[in-house]
Amino acid sequence: MDPESLCIDSAMYETEIPRNSLRPYQGLPDARDLKAFIPGTVVDVRVREGDRVSAGQVLLLLDAMKMHNEVCSAIEGRVAQVLVIKGDRVEKNQILVRLDAAV
Amino acid sequence: MSIMSRINEFLAKASRLILGGGREALESQRRKGKLTVRERLDVLLDPGTFLETDLFVEHSASDFGMHSKMLAGDGVVTGIGRVDHRPVAVFAQDFSVAGGSLGRAHASKITKVMDASRDMLIPLIGINDSGGARIQEGVDSLCGYGEIFYRNTLLSGVVPQISVILGPCAGGAVYSPALTDFVFVVDRISNMFITGPQVIKTVLGEEISPEELGGARTHSAITGNAHFFADNEEDSFEQVRNLLSYLPSSSREDPPVTAPKPPKAALTRDVIPEDRRRAYCVRDVIRGIVDSSEFLEVHEHFARNIFTGFARLEGRTVGIVANQPRVLAGVLDVDASDKAARFIRFCDAFRIPLITLVDTPGYLPGVNQEHMGVIRHGAKILYAYSEATVPKLTVIMRKAYGGAYIAMCSRHLGANFVVAWPTAEIAVMGPEGAANIIFRREIEESSDPEATRREKVAEYEEKFANPYVAASKGYVDTILIPEQTREALVRILETARVPDSGRMPRRHGNIPL
Repeated sequence: MDPESLCIDSAMYETEIPRNSLRPYQGLPDARDLKAFIPGTVVDVRVREGDRVSAGQVLLLLDAMKMHNEVCSAIEGRVAQVLVIKGDRVEKNQILVRLDAAV
Repeated sequence: MSIMSRINEFLAKASRLILGGGREALESQRRKGKLTVRERLDVLLDPGTFLETDLFVEHSASDFGMHSKMLAGDGVVTGIGRVDHRPVAVFAQDFSVAGGSLGRAHASKITKVMDASRDMLIPLIGINDSGGARIQEGVDSLCGYGEIFYRNTLLSGVVPQISVILGPCAGGAVYSPALTDFVFVVDRISNMFITGPQVIKTVLGEEISPEELGGARTHSAITGNAHFFADNEEDSFEQVRNLLSYLPSSSREDPPVTAPKPPKAALTRDVIPEDRRRAYCVRDVIRGIVDSSEFLEVHEHFARNIFTGFARLEGRTVGIVANQPRVLAGVLDVDASDKAARFIRFCDAFRIPLITLVDTPGYLPGVNQEHMGVIRHGAKILYAYSEATVPKLTVIMRKAYGGAYIAMCSRHLGANFVVAWPTAEIAVMGPEGAANIIFRREIEESSDPEATRREKVAEYEEKFANPYVAASKGYVDTILIPEQTREALVRILETARVPDSGRMPRRHGNIPL
């Protein structure tokens, strides 16, 4: 393995840097995008575009892991876009609803 | 019935049971490249020393047609045997019998040998090869697992517990090995996971092979669940026997002592490179110190930026923890902290003195490390070293900077003896970083900032990047050249004693987990 360089406290060290050890930072999730945390089927959509929603409000139900999982808003705001309809199969991390945060 | 016919009846019954799931099932086991359960015990134990218990045990389940099914030994072979003449308690699951599935009777056989291991104060070795819970027995099977976990926990720190994974070990079954001291895996044979690839595919839609998800390589290099990796079963059992040769049978006794042997090649003064930013392999240093230049590395493929392993000094077992500059410059990070802390606690529990070799520039910087909890995980090393009451000897070879200096068994965490080499740099941080902070204004205001920076780095290096500041305060006990190290460690260990019990009376401490 070719020596690579690792910088610690302004000093460069020649060393091996294993794969996985310096993964890039992914960032905190954006609370305005409600994503499917698991693949599943949308069984109920309870909001429409333009609706005002409060923090903790159930926006839709996602059937996965033999459960009807509540997908809730983490913030207060207005529904900008509803990207799924009842019966849709969704992938993990697919955006279901987009919100505009309350000003 | 005549005595002869009774004996013949017994022999016929026993030989049927010893065949486990029968010739065809055993053949299918061999076709997978696996040994049969009895071949495994033959390889593990000294020849002719296995005394089997509970061969005639039968299950008492009746639902789902179980009442008419006879399962030989209920799918597990248990008993007492010897490894290098020293007794051990063993259980070995038999995949040829109902897939090695765990029912109530199967579990009771296992808990019986676990209790024997406790009563006789001898190591416990478990060979895992099982499809999991016996679904037909329902909650009785869960009871079985729970009773095993309970005993694993009570045996922890009393006798060494070893798990050899030689087949599937999935779902709740993984937690017995996880509670034991050392897990051995074999390439392309071992599989461990909580939820298998099929469930992951159904639930999450993610596709992954069993090997990638929870094979021997994954658990050795990525998760750290496995401590020893082997290419085949025979090598794996040889590793088990080798490990046991370093360990006492229980925490009530000292580790075995062998004839002292010098290292094959003594340490030389050029063992570490002149330039502090150049890497080298810390194993070369260890080879120059320990008997026969031999050691048994634990977690060889996991968190390779720190070394942990057993070796001998003048015939006595020692546990070695060493920064490995060859990987990630020898930094401490989340995985290295977990790895070292667990090893230190094992050694402390089993009266094995600790030798710490230090050459680390500090903790690995990064958002990822911070978010993975390097505070919580890094605290484990501090806790484990501070808690340990076995003799703790530290050799500072080169860099010992900042928090990592404290963590690597410094005097301040209770090291009994601290040696530094003349190349040691014991300081709050490396010269480059320190100069940039202390002389920031001079560097910024200089007409030639680069020249000033170099000058100030050299100034700091001259003044602080050495062992003398720490030695002047008694934080280092002695400064030695590398070739004197072995002799000094041997002499200190000769007089060091393991106290009978740990520290202040309390129910138990609360290590950060």
